[in-house]
Amino acid sequence: MKILIIEDEIALSDSICTYFNSENFVCETASDFKSAIEKISLYDYACIILDITLPGGSGLDILHDLRLNHKNDGVIIISARNAVNDKVTGLKNGADDYLAKPFHLSELSARVDAIIRRKTFHGKDIIEIGDLSLSVPNKTVEFNGKSVELTRMEYDLLLYFASNKNRVISKGAMAEHLWGDDMDMTANYDFLYTHIKNLRKKLLMAGCPDYIKSVYGLGYKFAV
Amino acid sequence: MKLFTKYNRINLLATIIVFVLSGIAYFFLLRFILINQVDEDLKIEQHEIENYVSKYRSLPEVIAVKDQQISYVAVNNGNERNVFTNRHADRQRRRAFFRQLDFFIHVKKQWYQVSVSKSLEGTDNLIQSIVTITLVTILVVLVVSLVINRLVLRKLWQPFYDSLAGIRRFELEKKEMPVFAATAIEEFKAMNETFSDVTAKAQQDYLYLKEFTENASHELQTPLAVIKSKLDVLIQDPQLTEAQSKAAFAAYEAIQRLARLNQGLLLLAKIENGQYNSVSDFCVAEKITEKIHQFGELIDAKKIHVHTSFESGATVSMNPALADIMLNNLLSNAIKYNVFDGNINVVVQDGVLEISNSGKKEALGDSKLFRRFAKSGQAEEGIGLGLAIVKQAAEVSGFSARYVYENGLHRFFLIRNPHL
Repeated sequence: MKILIIEDEIALSDSICTYFNSENFVCETASDFKSAIEKISLYDYACIILDITLPGGSGLDILHDLRLNHKNDGVIIISARNAVNDKVTGLKNGADDYLAKPFHLSELSARVDAIIRRKTFHGKDIIEIGDLSLSVPNKTVEFNGKSVELTRMEYDLLLYFASNKNRVISKGAMAEHLWGDDMDMTANYDFLYTHIKNLRKKLLMAGCPDYIKSVYGLGYKFAV
Repeated sequence: MKLFTKYNRINLLATIIVFVLSGIAYFFLLRFILINQVDEDLKIEQHEIENYVSKYRSLPEVIAVKDQQISYVAVNNGNERNVFTNRHADRQRRRAFFRQLDFFIHVKKQWYQVSVSKSLEGTDNLIQSIVTITLVTILVVLVVSLVINRLVLRKLWQPFYDSLAGIRRFELEKKEMPVFAATAIEEFKAMNETFSDVTAKAQQDYLYLKEFTENASHELQTPLAVIKSKLDVLIQDPQLTEAQSKAAFAAYEAIQRLARLNQGLLLLAKIENGQYNSVSDFCVAEKITEKIHQFGELIDAKKIHVHTSFESGATVSMNPALADIMLNNLLSNAIKYNVFDGNINVVVQDGVLEISNSGKKEALGDSKLFRRFAKSGQAEEGIGLGLAIVKQAAEVSGFSARYVYENGLHRFFLIRNPHL
């Protein structure tokens, strides 16, 4: 699957590329308005990661151009201007999601996955991760055909792991994903430990291998 | 003391002194003229007597005339000198001044001392009149200046008070500039011009500063995003040692904190810029219940008891996103700084929302608590902007934020401004 990163900050697009390349994604980058327009007119992408402020034009115009040409690429806006208006305008103009800078790459990965799932499978998908299968519309999990009962938080956590499997996810990124930005609970990871512990216990009890590895107090890795 | 009261006092004192001095001068002048006049009369009398003596060789008979007395005393020798003296006489128990002329006259080989005296009752009356006139004048001046003070001064100073009120109403955060009414008085004109210049300058500096803060925050977002993404990539390295991981984690936490701080500053700037101006009505109780539910996990973990009391049907008209932000900050503070098995009380009554919690057993400080980065000892974890955001959000929504420490409870209030 191909994704296009339209971002003028090369260091950032490099990081995103590195992170996504380790999955079965092929990344292309465009660092200005003109090359971005060129690329989207030539190829189809599973998802486009789009910065709003670009040299030579606005990301919103690219969005407009996409919809004018009836392209169905998924689009996620990444913007430093975390303004309500930008978000509303972006989503109204056909963007699928909006993520304010600075963000965690694991969060971006999860959002991109969600967009691709929606676009490609029309929401009727099953995610396979190791021997587990997650049914996104039903929010249920099965291991070898046996259902595993999870709380909403645990399910969210598992889905997040699925989008970032075999990669280290920092504790901060997980806490922010589960409780959102407003809670200001990032300095306190006790709740995260509890949920991870419970999820792990439930998976082990279902006979599932121990996928979740702790990485030096830095975060966790779902290794399959 | 008002400027004009001070000026008036000096002015009145000077006026009174001038009046008293001029009264005294007037008195002496008039008395001098009057005594001269009397002396002339006495001299005329002397001439008459001398003429009579030279004509008839005898002293004239003494005729009792009102205010004039003549007496003769036979003496051994005499001279040509005239002596004027002032004399007191107790006449009918009323003290009276007399002017007396003594001279000698030689009649039939006998010297006589003649004393002619005239009453100075006129000067008595003069003093009285002058004192009366002076006092009355002073009184009139006092009354007139008082009346002028009351009627005219207030009106004269009105532009000054208007300008003062205008300056007092001036707030940097609000974009409206104070308007000073035109005035013909030079001093007031100069004052108003200075006020206008200074406020315009302050406003402009404030806008520049605000713009700078906002731009700086925006510009910081991209490098922050780069650092964060690089760390995300870095921690994927399987070769990472434990020490390196720990270093990466510390950098990660610091970046997280910086990002939150920056976000807080941006949020403040946005609230100030009125980007949260759209309002809608919603039920207070519903919103708070929803929020408490959201925080349920954290509340349960600390075994905190939440007591709520809502005035039935209380609604509020404000930006829902701002309400979320305010409640998030207040409730997360109430949980974060609470003790195990503590209490949180949420009360909505008569346009006042109170969120109080148990916690550290000492006051957190005064109204400075709501300032940016005004951290109290216990808030090491926070970024120091939570309450500043609450205050700012409350103010643009027509509330004021207050804090008191009472009976072991930290009580935070949002009070609806009366005119809204």
